[in-house]
Amino acid sequence: MQFTLKIERWNPETEQGGLQEFTVDAPETATLLDVLDIVKDEVDGSLTYRKSCRMAVCGSCGMRMDGAAVLACKTPMAPIAREGRVPVISPMGNLPVVKDLVVDMEPFWDKFRAVKPWLEEDDHPPVKEWRVQQEELDRIMKEALCIQCGCCVSECNSMEADPEFLGPAALAKGAKFVGDVRDRDRKGRLELYNGPHGVWDCTRCYFCNERCPKGVDPRDAIAKIGAEIYSEGMLSDKGARHAQVFDVSTRATGYLLETALVPYTDPLKAMDVKFAMQMARAGKVPNPLRPHRAKKLDEVRKLHKVLKTQEKDARAQKRAGVSVDREEAGS
Amino acid sequence: MKQSYAYYPGCLASLSQKELDVSTRAIAGKLGMELVDIPGFTCCGAGDVHEARPEYYLHLNARILGQAEQLEQDTLLTICNVCTLNLRQADIKLKADPELLERVNANLRDVGAAPYAGGVEVRHLLWEIAEGEGYEKLKQIAEKPLTGVKIAPFYGCQILRPSKLLGFEDPDRPQSLERIIEACGAEAVDYPSKIKCCGFPIVLAREDVALGELIQPLAEARDAGADAMVTPCPLCHLSLDAWQGKAAREADMDFGMPIFHLAQLVGAAAGLTYDELLFKRHVTKTHPATDKIYAQQG
Repeated sequence: MQFTLKIERWNPETEQGGLQEFTVDAPETATLLDVLDIVKDEVDGSLTYRKSCRMAVCGSCGMRMDGAAVLACKTPMAPIAREGRVPVISPMGNLPVVKDLVVDMEPFWDKFRAVKPWLEEDDHPPVKEWRVQQEELDRIMKEALCIQCGCCVSECNSMEADPEFLGPAALAKGAKFVGDVRDRDRKGRLELYNGPHGVWDCTRCYFCNERCPKGVDPRDAIAKIGAEIYSEGMLSDKGARHAQVFDVSTRATGYLLETALVPYTDPLKAMDVKFAMQMARAGKVPNPLRPHRAKKLDEVRKLHKVLKTQEKDARAQKRAGVSVDREEAGS
Repeated sequence: MKQSYAYYPGCLASLSQKELDVSTRAIAGKLGMELVDIPGFTCCGAGDVHEARPEYYLHLNARILGQAEQLEQDTLLTICNVCTLNLRQADIKLKADPELLERVNANLRDVGAAPYAGGVEVRHLLWEIAEGEGYEKLKQIAEKPLTGVKIAPFYGCQILRPSKLLGFEDPDRPQSLERIIEACGAEAVDYPSKIKCCGFPIVLAREDVALGELIQPLAEARDAGADAMVTPCPLCHLSLDAWQGKAAREADMDFGMPIFHLAQLVGAAAGLTYDELLFKRHVTKTHPATDKIYAQQG
């Protein structure tokens, strides 16, 4: 079967680059990586890309096809050729290009290191092994599937605007340790991930979930950390206070209290009189003294209260299970 | 398209983005969609309660779905991307796990709320008029084609991703808004960031990051020659419309880009007036585009 693709080239020595089209013959079962290998073997040996396992485990061959990050070894080409599409293959985003399809992963690893991707022990490690219950493992199983390919980071919209954002891969790793019953630094981790370029930088664009080739769902992992931070009453960050306004609003009126959102999240922003006037002129500032109230509000208020208690009990149960195991293991 | 829907406008369209609710009701009448109000609906919790208190989020949304069922409706119509994802995600989760559904329903019964039996599907207005009978009906009511008007579609995130929960169309190559724009007689302009984020969820907590995200689609739509942008999400609308001035100052650019709600675009093509569609309730003036539209229509 014939495959045509355009590859974004970049030679750092000559500082020359641009799109180059290649057409090669390959079996119908060929993946993008197979096609690149044929191009390199038969047409242009200077084509540069990373690869290793060829089976979606090593995480080396992350690159973009038509602007979307994929693992080259996991992307079948026949359906695209049949559609008559000529895909554009380019390096991953949010990381500096070294040559052709190879990016510098160092900024990626810097963020990985920043989230402390190791187990923190205390002075009482278990004598034998840690005993972890299946349900405790299940809670962090998705995050454990990460192969560190960088496909999520490539597409992260927040990272495009704030390159210092810890980002989906590192925070998913962080979520794994926050949820790991053997870890002894849960509070320290939450403080770390609650920082200025931490979880509240996430804009919920869901590109990470969409692109992850392993089903890690990094956005959901970030939300798990957010929930832990919120449950600890850590409200120092504007992001956590923003969430609190929604939580409290549903109890107070059933609706979002829009006029509370700005002053409570960021009191300084409430001083932006010019902006407030623009909004008011367009009729976009509801009367704060007569907020819109949902009917049957008592149902929601009771739910709010019932769930608060149930959430607290569930957290206590989660912790209790761990300490018992640890005592047994350590004694 | 259904004859009738349980109609969930959500918070924003009920409050600051009232023009969206008014325009939706106006076009629903023309399209022959009966919108049944849900008495006692609340906020879906947005991404915020979803993140901070996932259990409470699930119950809030189950309660809304249960209320739709009480109205004997099998489809709940949304007009906001965030409400769509929240409600669909809760619905899918509850339908997949009978034990969870029973636990949630026990809580709902305890507080006197209607339980949810799992008989509702959550659909966004965009999906109802982008294909099938709804699309045919849309073409019929678009009696005042917006000839020569260039419209840039802006999808917003949570109508496309995660596609396993939304799944209406290819999240990388969506065409629903383009189809609607063309059915309205306008020209759809293409630009790369039409599927990217507007930054709204973090515009208060991280304004600099959010504005960084917002500048790109505004600049690209302008460069593509758009007279206006259209979005199916009131949060994207607020970001693109109300924060446009700040984005322009941040980027040192001039956008002057009118932002239409999906229902306003359809309404204009269906002959509804500037006043009926409440275009005056926009922060960024819509005149350049609306003058072009209404001058043509005489």
